[in-house]
Amino acid sequence: MRVSKWSERFFGTPLPDPVVMVSFLFPLLYLIAFLVIPVIVMLGTAFKYNGHLSLYWFKSIFGSSYYFNPLHPQGSFVTLTTYNGQEVYYFSGLDFGVVLNSIIVSISVMILTTILGTTFAFIMARYDFPGKNIMRILLFIPLLVTPFVNVVVVQKMFLPNGLINWIFYQHLHILPKPIWIDGLVGVVIAQTITYYPIVYLNAYASFINIDPSLEEQAENLGSRGFHLFRTVTFPLALPGIAAGAVLVGIFSLEDLAAPIVFQGSAIAKKLMSYQIYSSFVSGFAIGNPQMAALALVMLTIALIMFLAIRWYVGMKQYAMLSKGGRWKPRVAKPKWWQALLIAFVAVPMLLITIFPQIGVILLAFSKSWYGTWPTGFTLDNMKALITQPDVERVILNSLLYSSVAIVIIILLSLTASYASGRFKKAKLAPVLDSLATIPIAVPGIVIAMSYFFFFSTVPPFKGTILDPTNLIQFFPGAALILAYSIRRLPFAARSIAAGIQQVHVSLEEAAMNLGAGRWKALTSILLPLISLNLLGGAMLSFVYCMSETSVGITLGSINSTWYPITAKMRELIMSAVGSANLAAALGVFLMLVQITAIVLANVITKQRYSFIGLT
Amino acid sequence: MVDVKLENIVKTFDGTTALKGISLHIKHRELFTLLGPSGCGKSTTLRIIAGLDYPDSGHIYFGDEEVTYLPSYQRGAVLVFQNYALWPHMTVFDNVAYGLKLKKLPKEEIRRKVEWALELVKLKGFENRYPTQLSGGQQQRVAIARALVVEPKVLLLDEPLSNLDAKLRLEMRSEIRRIQRELGITVIYVTHDQEEAMAISDRIAVMNVGTVEQVGTPKEIYESPRTEFVASFMGKTNVIPAKVVDRQGDRVTVEFESFRLDGLHYSGDSDKVVLVIRPERIKLKPGENTVSLEGKVDLIEYYGFFTEVVGIFGETRLIARTISDREVANLRPTQPVTFYIDRDDIIVLPKQL
Repeated sequence: MRVSKWSERFFGTPLPDPVVMVSFLFPLLYLIAFLVIPVIVMLGTAFKYNGHLSLYWFKSIFGSSYYFNPLHPQGSFVTLTTYNGQEVYYFSGLDFGVVLNSIIVSISVMILTTILGTTFAFIMARYDFPGKNIMRILLFIPLLVTPFVNVVVVQKMFLPNGLINWIFYQHLHILPKPIWIDGLVGVVIAQTITYYPIVYLNAYASFINIDPSLEEQAENLGSRGFHLFRTVTFPLALPGIAAGAVLVGIFSLEDLAAPIVFQGSAIAKKLMSYQIYSSFVSGFAIGNPQMAALALVMLTIALIMFLAIRWYVGMKQYAMLSKGGRWKPRVAKPKWWQALLIAFVAVPMLLITIFPQIGVILLAFSKSWYGTWPTGFTLDNMKALITQPDVERVILNSLLYSSVAIVIIILLSLTASYASGRFKKAKLAPVLDSLATIPIAVPGIVIAMSYFFFFSTVPPFKGTILDPTNLIQFFPGAALILAYSIRRLPFAARSIAAGIQQVHVSLEEAAMNLGAGRWKALTSILLPLISLNLLGGAMLSFVYCMSETSVGITLGSINSTWYPITAKMRELIMSAVGSANLAAALGVFLMLVQITAIVLANVITKQRYSFIGLT
Repeated sequence: MVDVKLENIVKTFDGTTALKGISLHIKHRELFTLLGPSGCGKSTTLRIIAGLDYPDSGHIYFGDEEVTYLPSYQRGAVLVFQNYALWPHMTVFDNVAYGLKLKKLPKEEIRRKVEWALELVKLKGFENRYPTQLSGGQQQRVAIARALVVEPKVLLLDEPLSNLDAKLRLEMRSEIRRIQRELGITVIYVTHDQEEAMAISDRIAVMNVGTVEQVGTPKEIYESPRTEFVASFMGKTNVIPAKVVDRQGDRVTVEFESFRLDGLHYSGDSDKVVLVIRPERIKLKPGENTVSLEGKVDLIEYYGFFTEVVGIFGETRLIARTISDREVANLRPTQPVTFYIDRDDIIVLPKQL
């Protein structure tokens, strides 16, 4: 056999090797078929008007004050109104049109989560105080994902008779009048509380990973206190913090739970994600090219954020420059005023941010919740999980979809991580690497939208069980499994890629050198060595498949027989009084699944903080 | 009989040529060393022999069989990796048995062979340990046992001692030599340490930026370096740029700074030359056939079993090494000193670059 330049160029092996080729081609073709082409099909719809290539639909968006209104914002940020005969401050936010509203909400959430997450991270990484371990456990609570119902609780907390006013107006008298947070401000607050753990985890890891000698050297040269933080600590941690913040920005952009829960206030509907979603729900607007164009605007913003942070973090790799292995992180006792800040600002903030999860549990075990606290203890909602056929059904559906998806995800991430991690010089490696991580930046609603156009128009799929317009045969499960496998791929892929990176390539080379073929070297050496990463990645992806929202409440909610859990939860919180309690019970079920997975992952893989929250 | 022949091996990585046409002939039962600074292509050569990389052009033969594009697992040239590449999820026994299991040998035979190999590297009784429970030296022995147990045609060692401490290095060095003699196998050894290469090898190939500069026994390489690079790479040495000012057959007179040395042996074409003088060949007393250099003492460095005198001659510093303390007892920095060198100890080579 001779060296093949062709094989070396594309696959990185001078001798053509079927195992390597499959490792490149399987994930590549899968991602092209179920991510790239659907988006391109949607692109085609958005750029076509009357059969011609046209910017008509984009012009229709940016020419309409409904979608784009930078100069004359409607409404007011805060007004004084009456609620049950009492004067209250009503916060709802200004309306700059759908596109700008989304961007403003996203940026606000990024800023707030960065402040909150970085503060907690710095306290946890650098200070030692009594009760720190309790705080560590509490900080883990907001990571639990409970679609819709946690936002329901946030909404209740910020009502005039809610928890916040109960504490700060009624009891502490800090507020001059009760506050009522609704509309876009409500969305910002709900998303901040939901997503700040992502920044926290990133920032915490960054602070922990700073070589203490870098700070010691600065101190040694006379820097201390805030100067030290500003000149050394913060710049070194910034890439990690920024990466977390951008992730949050993207999640905020695509979030549907908060706008759906706050839709009682009309302005909360004026977000890109909600607009696209409502075109699905209203039915007759499905397939509207204007919505395809709007989805593209959203995708473009998310991609720009994602690529910018990748470029920035790649540029700032100096954080890894430090030599030497493990070190003892710098931990200090807080000074008296710092201790006061921790006790009277940080801890109460933390308690407020974990209340939504606690509230979900309270909601699940109660009959109703009108005032500050829920009323009427009951086990009926929890019992319904295993007795009420339609609820049982959605749980089984979700378990089925997620299990199948996870098998695909594992195959995809194993092959993709092996190919792009081991054959870095191959021309296809960077392409595959980018394609496997980019689903993080593709909003779920965009995937739902593009699947709709793709499966209902492109020949091999048109008219099959994947075609949502084929009302008789359409099986949402198939579309959901595909969507899950794309959307949750980066989580498993990242974990497995990290595992492969830790296994030195010489271990496989030694096996091949001793007489093992590549397949044998893979199965006897590499796979056993990365089995823990495999397991961790699989559980992580599984948990997030279970709580996937965007595709679940659009493509997944076309036929109630095949609802996933999230579709049912959305239906419940939107319907009759008391149903939210049942939705909360489903939320509790999801929390239990997550806690089990986290505990298992931590016990088995000894990895801490392997989770980032995501709806 | 396995001798290894490399013919005109060329290899490029990302547009830079790592090997520029290497040809070598390694004889059966020889311990052959590839010696050179990092980046000279010695490890690449080894990986190409192992079949872990493939050359862009050229041929490799094991005996009469061409193996250039034979996959690594069919080649029988087993590499001991610099980092040992022991599989952390397998015991010592399983590590060593791996290659035998692939050959589908009967269980009993595998057990016997593994036992033999572990005995050879003096690790009997460690079968059930995991690699992380072993010291660096023990890990390396496991790696060697793992390679030897499959009875390779050629054993390839990639900087096998670089991760060990100084004392263990000496011990393992003679151990490797012992095993090679005992089994009578062909070994190709890669190192950047010239002392190690000299001590262990039958023959050495000195490599520099993708080419072989010289092949020879340790003695040949040390005493008759053929290029400036080989001369300067083989131990501490004095290299003085000079100019040929007169030729009488193959005897020349050279000049550097204000010094003129006559009657030196040189047959090269170029008039730009370097003088290579080993420090231990510089004397502080005149001899029969010596030239002399008058200068000042710059430094005296005491190393225990020898002493080095650094003399300064114009702008040029020369190191003389003596094992006699008495000769240098009276020398002090800045005092005048005369270095005497036998004409036959001055190697005149064409200037490189």
